[in-house]
Amino acid sequence: MSQAREVDVRQPILAANAAAADTLRERFAAAGTLVVNLISAPGSGKTTLLEVTVPRLRALGLRMAALEGDIATERDAERLRAAGIPAYQIVTGGTCHLDARLVSAGLDQAAFGPLDVLFIENVGNLVCPTSYDLGEDLKVALLSVTEGEDKPFKYPGIFARAEVTVVTKADLLPHVPFKLDEAQAQVRTLRPDGRWIVTSATTGQGIEEWCAELVARVQAKGATRG
Amino acid sequence: MGVALEIHRACRARLEAHGPTRLDRVKVAIGELSAVEPEILRYAWEAVVYDGPDADAELEIEWRPARQVCDDCGEIEERVDGEWLRLCPRCELPLRVEGGRELDLLQFAFTPLIDVPRVETDEDDEGGSPTPLDGSESLP
Repeated sequence: MSQAREVDVRQPILAANAAAADTLRERFAAAGTLVVNLISAPGSGKTTLLEVTVPRLRALGLRMAALEGDIATERDAERLRAAGIPAYQIVTGGTCHLDARLVSAGLDQAAFGPLDVLFIENVGNLVCPTSYDLGEDLKVALLSVTEGEDKPFKYPGIFARAEVTVVTKADLLPHVPFKLDEAQAQVRTLRPDGRWIVTSATTGQGIEEWCAELVARVQAKGATRG
Repeated sequence: MGVALEIHRACRARLEAHGPTRLDRVKVAIGELSAVEPEILRYAWEAVVYDGPDADAELEIEWRPARQVCDDCGEIEERVDGEWLRLCPRCELPLRVEGGRELDLLQFAFTPLIDVPRVETDEDDEGGSPTPLDGSESLP
């Protein structure tokens, strides 16, 4: 038998995904579409946040659609269609994150037409979606007040990458032990320049601020359209 | 599991030109902010290579901690892996976070299973130059 040989590689493990994400980024840039990758633990309120976001942005004339990543079921896509935007469900069949190839295939299937904003609702998981570039303009991490305020330090990868952290279910703050200041301090440590927005889909708290953040980014993206 | 699959796929893609081979060892760099847990990756790796020609391939993980840096005082040496300082212990300024995002395939070792004439490829350690790592994931 031959002798063992060594091969130096030195490439990103997710190089194939990165290449697919670059292709997506070019596609989104040419279309002038702002792409928002929403990442959180299951049940943090990603779909609910979109349900209250969509009517406000539609009133401004923005064209939106959503790609919904879930391990199983069409439920979230149905909720967003009911909220009035086209939505395509990517059922990952057990995989705990979306990758750029799944997004590309989903977009081809969905054929949304021209968009100002594409929301990508990732599979509920604070770990695996962190590493997968989907060609998005921004990653948004959601943190609900029914979770622990130590989530940012427990899952530093996503909170260090997310340009925006949205706290959800803030109307429950009087009823839960969640320490808002501590959570914010942890996020600031990991991402000093990140936006921090405290929201409640029930009371509407912070929703205008969140929508204004998106609108500013849509305008910036439109201005750079090639 | 996805990361373990990608590691195996990348190695196997580079071995296509070498005929039947056995992967002996794979070395990767995993950063503290990569959202990959070394022990879970090892477990996933065993599941990926199980029952195939690479079943005994060892996954060697080089852990790369993130760094906390003060604009005035430089890197904070007393930072403990896995814990985060809020402010610089010397001047109490906020700190920046650098590094720790590595998720890289560094090297692998293999053994040809039959004696075949050697095929030189770009990927070969003796014939080619390594692909540069993507530096686009630098921290803010």
